[in-house]
This record gives sequence, structure tokens and C-alpha cells, in this order.
Amino acid sequence: MRVTFLFFLSLIFVSSSYSNELNLFTSRHYPSDLILFKKFEEKTGIKVNVINAKSKVLEKRLLDEGSKSKGDVLFLADAGALYSAEEKGLFAKYNESRSLKLVPASLKNDYWVGVTKRARIIFYNPNLVNYNEIKNISYEDLSSKKWRKSIAIRQSNNIYNQSLVASILEHKGEDFTREWLKKLVKNFSRKPQGNDRAQILSVAAGESKLAIANTYYYALMLSGKKGDDQKKAAQKVEPIFPNQNDRGAHINISGAGILSYSPNKKNAQEFLEFLLTKEAQTNLCNSSFEFPIIQNVSTNKLINNIKNFKEDIYIDVSTYGKRQAQAFKLMKKAGWN
Amino acid sequence: MNINLNQRVSDNSILFLSLFIIILILSPILTIFFENINQKSDYLNFFSSGEFRSYTMNSVVILIGVLLLTLFLGGVSAYLVSFYEFVGVNFFKYSLLMSFAIPPYIYAYTLSAFFENFGIAYSLVSFFSEDLSKTLIPKIEPLSGSIISLSLTLFGYVFILTRSTFLNQSRDLIEVGKSLGFNNIDTFLKIIIPTARPAIFIGLSLVAMETLSDFGTVSFFGVSTYTTGIYNSWFIFDDLKTANFLSLFLIFFILFFFGLESISRKNIKFFNSNNSFNKKNKKVILSGYKGFFAFFFCFFLFSTSFLFPLVLMVKWSFMNSSYLDLNQILQLNYNSIKLIFLSSIFIILTSLIVTFSGRVLKSKILSFFSSLSISGYAMPGIVVSVSIISLFSLIDSFLDMNLRGYFIGSIYGLIFGYSVRFYSISFNTIKTVYLKINKSIDESALLLGFNKLSILKNVHYPLLKKNLIFAFILISIEVIKELPITLILRPFNFETFSTSAFNLASNDLVEAAAIPSLFIVLWSSLLIFLSIKFFLIDKK
Repeated sequence: MRVTFLFFLSLIFVSSSYSNELNLFTSRHYPSDLILFKKFEEKTGIKVNVINAKSKVLEKRLLDEGSKSKGDVLFLADAGALYSAEEKGLFAKYNESRSLKLVPASLKNDYWVGVTKRARIIFYNPNLVNYNEIKNISYEDLSSKKWRKSIAIRQSNNIYNQSLVASILEHKGEDFTREWLKKLVKNFSRKPQGNDRAQILSVAAGESKLAIANTYYYALMLSGKKGDDQKKAAQKVEPIFPNQNDRGAHINISGAGILSYSPNKKNAQEFLEFLLTKEAQTNLCNSSFEFPIIQNVSTNKLINNIKNFKEDIYIDVSTYGKRQAQAFKLMKKAGWN
Repeated sequence: MNINLNQRVSDNSILFLSLFIIILILSPILTIFFENINQKSDYLNFFSSGEFRSYTMNSVVILIGVLLLTLFLGGVSAYLVSFYEFVGVNFFKYSLLMSFAIPPYIYAYTLSAFFENFGIAYSLVSFFSEDLSKTLIPKIEPLSGSIISLSLTLFGYVFILTRSTFLNQSRDLIEVGKSLGFNNIDTFLKIIIPTARPAIFIGLSLVAMETLSDFGTVSFFGVSTYTTGIYNSWFIFDDLKTANFLSLFLIFFILFFFGLESISRKNIKFFNSNNSFNKKNKKVILSGYKGFFAFFFCFFLFSTSFLFPLVLMVKWSFMNSSYLDLNQILQLNYNSIKLIFLSSIFIILTSLIVTFSGRVLKSKILSFFSSLSISGYAMPGIVVSVSIISLFSLIDSFLDMNLRGYFIGSIYGLIFGYSVRFYSISFNTIKTVYLKINKSIDESALLLGFNKLSILKNVHYPLLKKNLIFAFILISIEVIKELPITLILRPFNFETFSTSAFNLASNDLVEAAAIPSLFIVLWSSLLIFLSIKFFLIDKK
């Protein structure tokens, strides 16, 4: 009995605290991010504590902790996820000071700021598809009968797909999107499965003619970090940026904001400013192969090769969040598993 | 008079402590019930919705696939190693248990990385001919991938339980059968199978429970099942109502298998109690192609379930050693060991208190509630996490306290979550021994003037000790592999092998996930090896 009691007692009184720190909730999981945070620590003396999980898990947890939360900054991949957190009142306004001003208006709002960006584009197999057939392709064209059973894409529960469909919803309306989705699903070359890389690999293997995937996966494969076979496979496909004759290719961001109950708001502001310095941008992008969000940042060759295209800046990225649940429902209804 | 009064006070305090523990263990399940009653849900509508149908379809297809495959793999291998003598049989009868060391979601990572386009299988085959690789390499679909990953990591339940009844099966029965002129097939169909049936049911029920609560595998393959449905409705649609409802439904579904398991356990009692326990059946020596077939079957099973993921993880760990430095690896080890010790001690202590008071107090209320308390095992980790968060929110809002701050995102919350899930392991392990200890021992001790606590200390403890260690090992294996609870309830800067493997794998770094995965496998292998060596080796 005494042992049990002591055990309980020890459970209750063990706790720890730091003074100059920053608690970061992030859905990004690149080992190189951690190295970057160390640099921030060295520069400022602010210790960065990281908790890593999928964006919605973080969101739930912050909501549940409420005003008792120790979280300072929330760093999420996908604008939809940022919007969802904003809607629930998780973010406080940040000061648009210093480097934060450099971020284009469509990629930030009062509560969060884009840190890196990526495009969700089409990859094709030049052995199966002629460049001239595809050079003017748009997302809307993907529902054409011409591509029957030839498109590889991951599942509908993937947030990047939800954001893409949300952007179609915003541009074209619900009726168009419903019909478009129905035909698109018929064009799938296989049951949606795997990650973005798996879609590109499917095109490389000749199993599918087209794949829809984020730009950085392609660069990652070309870098050889995924092995020689994947590098060779990536060399068998070509990227094509859709909607270059009208609104431009679908852009999404990774972004961060200061949490409303943050106990260390000053540190949080400093951290955001740090993420948008050229040094941090180079670091973030060279390891994840995303695009920098500010101008004149030097990045490696693989990123530079795919960096020049027309981006869809007519849509505010936070729209993705507003329409994501609706998009997901339509996708499910269309039979997109 | 005085002694009696003291006795009653201490009886009551043990009773209340036990009931408190049981309520603690049951509280997440009760929260789910409460949340469901509390909300007016349109159940009928939901039942008929397409989403619910697809969750059900996929869950049932995976369940049936896994049950059939584990029955086949576990049953055949157990039969072969129990009744026949062939090359390597002594190795296989233990090494097949090593499959327990591989969590299904880690198996899924290796399976898909191996067979994907331009994956490892491709590298191997295309070394000879690139054309061959197109025809030879099978495509792993989400459903088949989930079924294979779950079956090859769970068949051990059927194997171990079936094998133990085969071993304990009365030789007399088989002899009687032979004297009645039964041939081998008759013996198998009319004696071996019927007597092994309860054990097979227990094994399959455990497999069913694990399959239905699996989150890591189906979420990796992206199959819509109940667990991913809970996750989606909770996380993507912010629809706690549906999440709670699905959780409740899933719990009922799993409780069905749980009930089946309990009933089967009752049936198993009577042939365990006979005296031919230690007699060994004479094994038939298999030679020629039959011997080769038996060897090949077991070897194939051992290599696909254990060697295959292990070898791949070792390969990737060496290729990607830069992802984790030594410090991080040490930290992960430290975190996992800390969790193992804290949670096992807590779970073993609490379950010991409850089983002990159940035995000495003979309280009907207690025995009813303690039989309910083991149902925590039926709760998928993801449901446990959701309900623990809801529970503390409820308590805090009623009492205006901040229990959440203590439990959510802290080690204590993790220990609580593990206790809900793994309490039954310890409870059952202890209870099994208690059932074997004759109650007359307690009565004699009471007559000799021992009080109840000293009976625990001086009479029961020495008899229980070995099984307490066994319970510790079993809990450790579960804790080290556990994913959803750890993922959701853990503190800042706190990674375990499983969270680090899952995060790396879901961020497209499957190869980097090999290092933490490898450690899970090494630790569990060690623990399984210990339990085989000290607890499972055939009694001579």
C-alpha cells in the first residue's frame, strides 16, 4: 500500500519547466528542420521544443488544452490545415514586421504566414504521351475521355488532393466540380493508393500515363536520396504545369502562426521572422525541395529547374480550408476512395 | 470483536480501492457511452449512409481475410511442429513466435517498399531482366496489402494457442481413437480438431480484436475502415458525434469477439485439468518430400513474417544511418524503457490488487465489474486516446479543475492510456495462476492466523512471482509497439520508437523509419526470447 501511495505521489510532483523557450507544434517532419531550429537556438538563446504530429492531431490537442496550452507556434503543411486552425481561434495576430512583409498577400493573412510553397502538378511519361498533346493541359482537362484509365493519383483523404479539389470548387462552382469528379474517377488507372512518389513511379513504370503529385516529390526522387532506381524512374517522367494559359498551376503552402494562448509570444514572433530570413528559406527548401516563399533566395539546381511557371495567384490559399470538407464529401460521393 | 472490526475496515478499503481501479480502467469506455447518450444522433441515417457501408465492407473484408489466413498459417504450422518430426522443427516451434516482434504497420511499410514500382523487388529482378520485373512482381493493393501485413504479424496468436492445446492434448484420447481403428485423418478431424477448437477460437478472437483495432496499417494503405473512419470524422470533419458513434459501434463489434474468447476460455478448462498434461505425444517422423514440404512451409512462414522485414530494416538502417544520431537513439531507448517500467509497474500493481481482492473478498459486485474491466483491451488505441481527452475535458468542466494539464501531453496520460489497453493482459496472467491455486490454501492460512494482506505477501506472492514477471514482459512488448495512444497523448519533445517510425514513414521517409522500427523489433525479439526461454519452453 505504502509503495502504491509513494508511486502516485511521485507521479504528481514530477514536472519540469524552462524559462527562455519556444514550444513548436509542427506537422512537418524533416530531420533538417530540426537542424534549422538548432541554428535559431544558437542565434537567440531560445530553446525550441518540438512536438510533431499530423496537423489535425495537433489542432485537436491545442483545442483541448485551451487557455492552458503551452504551445507558441503552429507550423503546418497545407493552407487548408492553417485555415481550419484559424477558424477555431487557435491563432493570435502576428506583427507584420521585417521579413514577414516579404510574403505575397495571397499566401498569408492576419493570423498565419506562408513559409514555403509547392505546386500540385501533372507528370507524364513521354513514351506514352506526346508533349504536344499535353502542353496546354489544364486540371479541367483531366476529366476528358481521352485519359480514360490513365491517371494515377493518391486517395481522397489526402489533404493535398482536397485542397486541389477545393480550388476547382472555388473557381468553377459545385455543379461543375461534381461532374468533373465523376469523370475524373473513371480516368483513374488504378485504385488510388500510395504517396505522391508512388504516383510518379506508376507513370515511370508505364502503368499510368499521367500522375498528379507535388513538385518536391519529383525533385526529391531526382536528387537520388530515394536511391538510384527511383532517380532513374524520375528521369523517365516529365513535369507539366497545368493551366499556364489561364489562371496558373495550383499552389499550396506550408505556413506558421502564433498561437493565441502562447506564453512566449515574443519568442514566437522572433521565430516566424527567422523562418522567413534568406538563410532559413534556403535551408528549408534545399532539404524538402519546396519553393521558397520570398524572392531572391538561392536554392539548389533541382528546384531551380522547375521553379519558373505561372502560379494561380487569383485564389487566396485560405479558400482551400473553407471548401475542404465540401470537397472531400464530393470526392467520396464520386467514388474516389 | 475488535479484530473482526479491523478486518472489516481493511476488507472495505481493499474493496473500494479495487472498485476505484476498475472504474478508472473503465472510465474511457464509459465516456464513449456517455457522449453517445448525450447527443441526439441520427443513427438510422448514418447506418444507411454510403460511408458507413464502405467502412463496414472494408473492415469485414479485411477481418475475414485475416481470420482465414491466420487460421491457415497458424493452424498448419502449429499442427506440423506439434505432431511431426522434420528438419528444423525444434527451431521453428519457437522462432515462429518471433513474428510477434513486428508491428503490423511496420510490416506494411516494408511490404509496400519492397513491391512498389522501382522498389527493392524491382532492383533484384531487373538485375537479371527488366522485362521480367514487369510480369514477375505482384502489385500490392491496399486491401490485400493490409490483409497480408496483418496476417503475417498476427498468426502467432493462433499458432501459440493451438500449439499449446496440441501439446496438452490427451495422449489417451488419441490412443483410444487409434484402438477404435481411426486412421490419421479420422484422428485429426474427430479428435485433434474438436479438442483444439476452443484454443483456435481464442487465437482467432485475439486476431479479430487486433485486426479491428488496427489503425497504423489501414491508415498507411489508406483503406476506409472503422478506425480510419473514426480518425477521419474526428480529424477531417470535426465531427466528434460520428467519431463517438463509430467508436461505440466498433467496441460492440469487438466485444462480440471478446465474448467469444471468454466463452472459449471457459471451455478450455476441462481438458487442461486432466493429468496427462506433461505427457508428450509420440511424433511421426516425416521424411522425403513430406518432410521437405513441412520444412518449407515453416521456413517460408518464418522468413516472410520475420526475416523479410528484419533484413530490409537492417539494410535501410545502414543506408540511412544519418537520419538519427546516437544521442537520439539513446534518448528513444531511454523514453521507451521509462514508459515500459512506469506503465508495467502501475498495471501489474493495480491488477494484482483487483485479482487479490476478487479472490479473498468473494464480492459479487467486484467480480462482475472486474470481468467488465478487461474489456479495455477491446478498445482500439485511437478510441482510447479520443475518449481520454473527452473524459478529462468533462471532469474539468464539471469540477473546474485542470486535470487535462496533468494528463494530456504527459507521461501520466500515456500510462493511463496503456493501463486501459493492457490492464487485461496482466489481469488474465495473474488470474490464471490464481485459478490454479487451491482456495483451501487461503483458508488454512487464515486458520493459522494470517491476515489477508499477509496471505498476499507470504502465500500468494511466491506463487505469483513468476507470472508477474511474465505479465511484465507481455506488457512491455505491447507498450514498445503501441502507436495511436503514444502518438496523441505524448508530451513535448517526446518520441518513442513507434511514433518516430510512424512519423518518418508517413512523411515519405520509409527508409529512415527503419532505424526506430529495427529497435522495436530488436527489443520485442529480446523480450519474446526471454519469455520463450523462461516461460514457454516445453516442460520436460
